[in-house]
Amino acid sequence: MTLLLNILVDGIAYGMILFMIAVGLSVTMGLMRVVNLAHGGFALLGGTFAHWLGSDLGWPFWLALPLAVLGTVALSMPLERLIYRRVYGFTDLQQVLATIGLTFLMIASVNLWQGSSLLTVPLPEGLKASVDLGFRTLPVHRLVVIAFGAAVVVGLWLLLDRTRFGIRLRAAVDNRGTASAHGINTDRIFMLAFALGAGLAALGGVLGAEILPIDAYYPLRYMVLFLIVVAVGGMGSIPGSLLAALGLGLLETATRYLVPDYATIAFFALVIALLTVRPNGLMGKIA
Amino acid sequence: MKRAFHAAVLAALTLGLPGAALADTIKVGVVAPYSGPFAIYGKQFQEAIETYVAQHGTTAGEHEIEFIYKDVGGPNPDQARSLAQELLIRDQVDYLAGFTFTPNALAIAPLIEQSQTPTVIFNAATSSINRESDFYLRTSYTLWQVSAPLAEWAYDQGMRSVAITVTDYGPGIDAENAFKAAFEAKGGEVVDTIRMPLSTTDFTPFIQRVRDAAPDAVFTFLPGGPPTFTYTKTFNENGLAEAGITFLGTAETEEVNLQGLGDAAIGLTTAYHYSGAHESEANDAFKAKLTELFPDAVANWASVGAYDGTHLIYQMVAAAGSDGPAAVEAALGLEWESPRGPVTMDPETRTVVQNVYIREVERDAETGLLINAEKGVIATVGDLGWDK
Amino acid sequence: MNTTMKSWLPPLALLALAVVLYFALPYNLAFLTRILIMAVLVLSLDLVLGFAGIATLGQAAFYGAGAYAAGLFAIHVWADPVAGLLVAGLAGAALAFVSGLIVLRTHGLTLIMLTIAVASICHEIANKARDVTGGADGLRGIRMEPVLGLWQFDFIGKTGFWYALTVLAVVFVLLTLIARSPFGLSLRGIHESPERMTAIGVSVYWRRVTAYTLGGGIAGLAGALSAQVTQLVSLESFSFTLSAEALIMLILGGTGRLYGAVLGTLVFMWVHHWAAANDPFNWLFVIGGLVLAVVFFLPRGIIAIPTALKRLGGRHAGT
Repeated sequence: MTLLLNILVDGIAYGMILFMIAVGLSVTMGLMRVVNLAHGGFALLGGTFAHWLGSDLGWPFWLALPLAVLGTVALSMPLERLIYRRVYGFTDLQQVLATIGLTFLMIASVNLWQGSSLLTVPLPEGLKASVDLGFRTLPVHRLVVIAFGAAVVVGLWLLLDRTRFGIRLRAAVDNRGTASAHGINTDRIFMLAFALGAGLAALGGVLGAEILPIDAYYPLRYMVLFLIVVAVGGMGSIPGSLLAALGLGLLETATRYLVPDYATIAFFALVIALLTVRPNGLMGKIA
Repeated sequence: MKRAFHAAVLAALTLGLPGAALADTIKVGVVAPYSGPFAIYGKQFQEAIETYVAQHGTTAGEHEIEFIYKDVGGPNPDQARSLAQELLIRDQVDYLAGFTFTPNALAIAPLIEQSQTPTVIFNAATSSINRESDFYLRTSYTLWQVSAPLAEWAYDQGMRSVAITVTDYGPGIDAENAFKAAFEAKGGEVVDTIRMPLSTTDFTPFIQRVRDAAPDAVFTFLPGGPPTFTYTKTFNENGLAEAGITFLGTAETEEVNLQGLGDAAIGLTTAYHYSGAHESEANDAFKAKLTELFPDAVANWASVGAYDGTHLIYQMVAAAGSDGPAAVEAALGLEWESPRGPVTMDPETRTVVQNVYIREVERDAETGLLINAEKGVIATVGDLGWDK
Repeated sequence: MNTTMKSWLPPLALLALAVVLYFALPYNLAFLTRILIMAVLVLSLDLVLGFAGIATLGQAAFYGAGAYAAGLFAIHVWADPVAGLLVAGLAGAALAFVSGLIVLRTHGLTLIMLTIAVASICHEIANKARDVTGGADGLRGIRMEPVLGLWQFDFIGKTGFWYALTVLAVVFVLLTLIARSPFGLSLRGIHESPERMTAIGVSVYWRRVTAYTLGGGIAGLAGALSAQVTQLVSLESFSFTLSAEALIMLILGGTGRLYGAVLGTLVFMWVHHWAAANDPFNWLFVIGGLVLAVVFFLPRGIIAIPTALKRLGGRHAGT
């Protein structure tokens, strides 16, 4: 019984971290249909800014976090204008090449600026503590990540389903020409959507740094992990990403509790089984 | 001997000798990762070498010494071997050095055996590497060398039951075997052995399992970088220390990433051959020169492995120049005062015999930084894994 | 000059270049050999991706299977290089066939993730089976006999170079013949329009499985070459990085033309080698810049340079 509760608690906490990091990818890759392998790069930029502000300059976490996200967003907009605007029209393979090249440049830049050791983000005292769940304890920062995750789900749903921006974005993605003809400024819509994806990546990068620590090599180290979440969730589905992240978090945690020696094999075997049965992901549109 | 080899290579290539005028320069090829996820090793190596050169000049005996750095990127034996070949054939190096990963070191065994090139391993810690060729010399440590003394020390401190969590790959399993053998030989009990997948990001499941088993201590081995960071954080957050479970490790609290671990690291116990906080003139001089040359540099075991390796190369060059077998002969039994403490190059295992220190992470009252404070010493330990 | 002869020009030029490099860079034979081996792997990817349109990020699975098969065969059975090659090719093909049966039922991102998962499982199995594979320390003890009983592997790497070049040339000719066969043409048809091929009664699935199996076999050959030349096999031969780098090299060179694969490998590894030698810490800037420049200015890959130049020349002539 305790084992089951443990798996549940740890799996959900871990799943939410996965969700926080992958949801931005779901926006750019799913909604905007760009194979964006540089997603982890934006998480890296966010984490690096947070490290610089929090550790090098000694600013408090709750100030460093929003500034790091804003810094990444500010950087993503000119990048979108200079590079991504042309990438949208590329074939899948060219998008892979372009975004990988960009990732290399991001890694090289962070490496040059901050070196290749771990870039930690100092947490405030409140987040370092643990709460007592009765049968065990849970670190507070994981609860905070769960709360942020829930807020992001609600916020994205409101934004995409209930605002003019969301309607225009979906119109622009579905048919850019028609959307332009209807007087929608598609360039601006795309830039904002891209900045949103980058900002979410940065937010996830900083909040998830306790489990997926930031260093220059971050984007390549965790690329597969992010892609799995999006693939299992189904491209472009925010609820799908949430479901996938929680499911994969539970799955990975369960295999580590139950069969630690064969956890990796069991995890990938189950992912293969799942994707074979549901090739479009849990919530993917039937293509 | 060595020159004869080069001459043979050149004859085979039917080409003239490029740069023959520099016959008196001894070249050392340093193969290490300078890019990618393990780039920190290359940085540590290079900084330590340049520190040694700054202290001792560019000549050893009558020879100029020159270092050539080659990026191997990570564990990549194909690349390691091809770089070593290029160094030996094109750059005509007389010594090889570096080598962070076991497969990279193993891949060059046939080359150094044939060319009789002394090869100083700065890091790779699998005992059996040195069995592949007599030209390997190791200035780092082996996993048995630090894990087994830690097990004996833990037993002597009154710990009777231990859980072992190691990362499931070669070095982790070596560490597990060493600790287990030594601890059980003393009469202690290993209550649980968990091999954690290399790709683990969240260690909570393993930590919880250890907590439920409630042993006196948990011994762990993790690859450096992200896994170490996450494991120690998780260890702390899940209250294992409060539950009376002592953390026992080796390289986990190494100095480069130690400050990043934060207060979570305080109280972690490790057994290792080098602490940046080791109090000696040699260590002070080393650290002072290092930070004078590279203000952001932090000395850790990789630096000291490279620093001592450079020292060994200087001694070999002074004694034997480019004569490989004579150089190795001169190195065997050599004793010197390293920043880590006194060391001897063991003639049999060709790994340094050194002190293993029991350390505990503390916050230094003066600087406010976390340090590995030495609490005990197990003197002159050789490579205990040589016969295993 | 007829079309058939013309289409052989680029590969023959590359072959000539290889021979020239052999004599021009006698000190770098080990590096040149690595390029040749990598080119075999990238060619296998061109068959799978460029011809059959299967986007994969798990080609290392078959490279690794071949490398371990060749290594184990040499240690335990027979250290003859050519026999080892055949065994490795079969091992790569067998793994590709079995995994292809499942993987090729899907498309797009799902397919990519499944190929990654297969390679990851192989990596973990090789890591766990330490007694057989040596685990993370690597599979050691590979000592090869002379190639065809005549040429001993030498220190400088002459034998390794000619051996790898021969295998590369044979693979290249084989793939060219496949490309021109009815099977190859049907693959291109599938790539362009699977619906149409289904409509005319072609089993798309089984042709894709066949192409994937062949590609796996060729990747296995590349793995065997690496095992025999390096005399050590490591877990990295299953790594995601290897699959991803092979993909980058292929797209860089240009897909579906075979010599594009070879050219892409040559350029990528050359630039990497040169940049890393000049600045071991920051060469990634150069690689990232190269990749971006190619995708922006030569979207069809390096093989499009002549066309691009012609266009540029034409434009200038016009003004």
